[in-house]
Amino acid sequence: MKKLIELKNIVKDFDGQQVLKGISLDIYENEFVTLLGPSGCGKTTILRIIGGFLDADGGEVRFDGKEINHVPPYQREINTVFQKYALFPHLNVYDNIAFGLKLRKEPKDVIEQKVIRMLRLVGLDGFAKRRVSQMSGGQQQRVAIARALVNEPKVLLLDEPLGALDLKLRKEMQRELKKIQQEVGITFLFVTHDQEEALTMSDKIVVMKEGTIQQIGSPTDIYNEPINRYVANFIGESNIIDGTMRADYRVEFEDRQFECVDAGFEKDEAVEVVIRPEDLDIVPVAQGKLRGRVKSALFKGVHYETMVETRAGTSITVQMTVRDGKPAANTGSGECISANDFYLDIEDVEQLTDARIIARADAQAWNPQTDEFLSIAKLSYSIKPENGTYPVTFETHSGTSITVNMIVADANRVQNRENGEEIYAMNFFKSADEIHESMAIDHDLITWGDASAWVLNAQEEPDIRVRISDVVYTFDPDNIQPGTYDVTFSTKGYEYKVSTTDRTEPGDVVGLTFVPEDLHIMRKG
Amino acid sequence: MNRFRAMAYPYVLFISILVVIPMLLIIAYAFTVEGTAFFQHQFTLDNFARFFSDAVFLQVLVRSLRVAVFTTIVCLILGYPAAYCIAKSERRQGILILIITLPTWINMLVRTYAWVGILQDNGLLNAVLGTLGLGQLHLMYTDFAVVLGMVYNFIPFMILEISAALSKMDPSYLEAAEDLGANRRQSFLHVTLPLSLPGIISGITLVFLPAVSAFFIPKLLGGGSYVLVGNIIETEFLTAGNWSFGSALSLIMAIIIMLSIYLTRRIDRNRGEVS
Repeated sequence: MKKLIELKNIVKDFDGQQVLKGISLDIYENEFVTLLGPSGCGKTTILRIIGGFLDADGGEVRFDGKEINHVPPYQREINTVFQKYALFPHLNVYDNIAFGLKLRKEPKDVIEQKVIRMLRLVGLDGFAKRRVSQMSGGQQQRVAIARALVNEPKVLLLDEPLGALDLKLRKEMQRELKKIQQEVGITFLFVTHDQEEALTMSDKIVVMKEGTIQQIGSPTDIYNEPINRYVANFIGESNIIDGTMRADYRVEFEDRQFECVDAGFEKDEAVEVVIRPEDLDIVPVAQGKLRGRVKSALFKGVHYETMVETRAGTSITVQMTVRDGKPAANTGSGECISANDFYLDIEDVEQLTDARIIARADAQAWNPQTDEFLSIAKLSYSIKPENGTYPVTFETHSGTSITVNMIVADANRVQNRENGEEIYAMNFFKSADEIHESMAIDHDLITWGDASAWVLNAQEEPDIRVRISDVVYTFDPDNIQPGTYDVTFSTKGYEYKVSTTDRTEPGDVVGLTFVPEDLHIMRKG
Repeated sequence: MNRFRAMAYPYVLFISILVVIPMLLIIAYAFTVEGTAFFQHQFTLDNFARFFSDAVFLQVLVRSLRVAVFTTIVCLILGYPAAYCIAKSERRQGILILIITLPTWINMLVRTYAWVGILQDNGLLNAVLGTLGLGQLHLMYTDFAVVLGMVYNFIPFMILEISAALSKMDPSYLEAAEDLGANRRQSFLHVTLPLSLPGIISGITLVFLPAVSAFFIPKLLGGGSYVLVGNIIETEFLTAGNWSFGSALSLIMAIIIMLSIYLTRRIDRNRGEVS
């Protein structure tokens, strides 16, 4: 096959921001190539540079062996199907398609023959005299394809041409475009953010991210052997697990070694293992390579999408003390002030600021008549970096004040070496009213308990945060009584998404199995 | 829409009192001759007969149309490139439109008087030419002065209409044309120009209408002997006191204007609807 388009280290800036960071790509004759990536990854920019509508700031564009960096679009043997078709509204279907041929001064009868043939190819016989404004989106799309193809370009550029169509029509046009491409036998360069569209139609997929190419390959290559986590996540759904290559064809994850088909890694190299949801099977525990508990099972029509947790997350439990606290009112100045006792990590005493104390105590002052918030003008306290109880007084300008206790205690954290993470939270005090008023209780509990989790022994600074995904509590937020309650914060454990026809119930303990070919090993980073 | 119909009532009332009734009065005057008795009018076609039987009036009509057509053509030729520049300049568009409309903030009569000061034999222009030793030009009371005055007064309408049409145009049409092999000249001829046609048509309408019925521009810059239809109408109403003949002339002008609008709209429609 012959190279048709060569991009060599193409760079493009917009307003000082680099949108293409050195793109090199070869496109061959007769290929259906798809540029795939989320919006803003630079895929349309590449298309516009090849079409000649944008100049690259660096690098070389070669077409058929010749450099074409500064050749204007009308001299390139390339045609484009624009995102919104850009059909000429003052011309009918026939004249739209004939536009390029008329410019080249082809004889009238030749033009007519070619246009009629194109209309037949895209399935629009008898639409020649129609106004473009009277046609549906799908029909306009076909006219746009016909208008470009009739010029017999060597390359057809398609900029998300199916984006404006509804799902059913889109599927139909996908098949049709592929058919047309095979019939006319020219190179199609197609831009989309729809991974399924890319997998269905392409000979070659170019996965892009933030102005760089991540992976180039056939749909099966990209799907089965994604080069990194980004590609794996972008193309289909995946389970991605941290693992270690113990030797060629032996990977370890979840503290067990499994046979795989990948080799060529360093010994004990940290890797990521991809398992597609459809490659996992649910089996009785005794037959499973992994075991876990079903967390949820969603019915998706043909199959169930089942989440199986093989290892619980890291969790920490703290006490929430609920008081029937009423705000302190100062009838003289018509103000109210409220604050809660709070716990303080002994390690934080050194860096204590007024703002932090106000936040931890949730101190507020307001005018009950107007509901206007007032500023807290003065804080008085004395504190030592020793465990103990220290009073703090908050005061407004008019002298309304409240005193609460700061309780300095040892840090409360739980390490989970197995999961490689650490979680932290503090006991806290709240009034029943505050819990009533909470709009998102899980989120508020995380804030109140100062709960956070991070990766243990992370080399990188700052710490890599881990999301707290579960908050469990033993009270009814709508009907809370003063007292002490346990609140447990936990991170997500190891979860596997499984596409299966087997029906399971949440809580079932099941086994998971797979074959060595289904493990795809990626280098980290 | 029916719910909002009531909101149009004040406007309907306004239009009825200030436009429809006067129009009906003009028609009534045009077809009547004043009787002897108070408020007694008789039907007649004499007013129209007088117009079509006197060659002077037809000459005046032809001259009015000629001046208006010429003014419109000059406005189009000068206005299109200006409108194109305005539509293409992204950042300075606002300031350019301001500059175009700035003169209209001053009364039209005053601005036309200013041209008298510039063009007359001992006026500004000749003073400058004289200082430079380039001789004298006699410009006042010529076709040139009248057309200049009209172009000066009416060209903003042309520019605004065309630039509005051009800036509404989706730039992807030009990219598509270029993609299909059109160079800049071809893209302009086959895409930009036809797509700006609605703007050209409304620009032509907005220039032609005031130009064909103008009366004080020819009066000031054309002098007493330079008579257009507008001047005759003015004289019949204000000086001669012959409201019936004045009304008949107005009616003839109205019909010519309506016909010309109809014809230009036809051209527009034949070129296809452009959204």
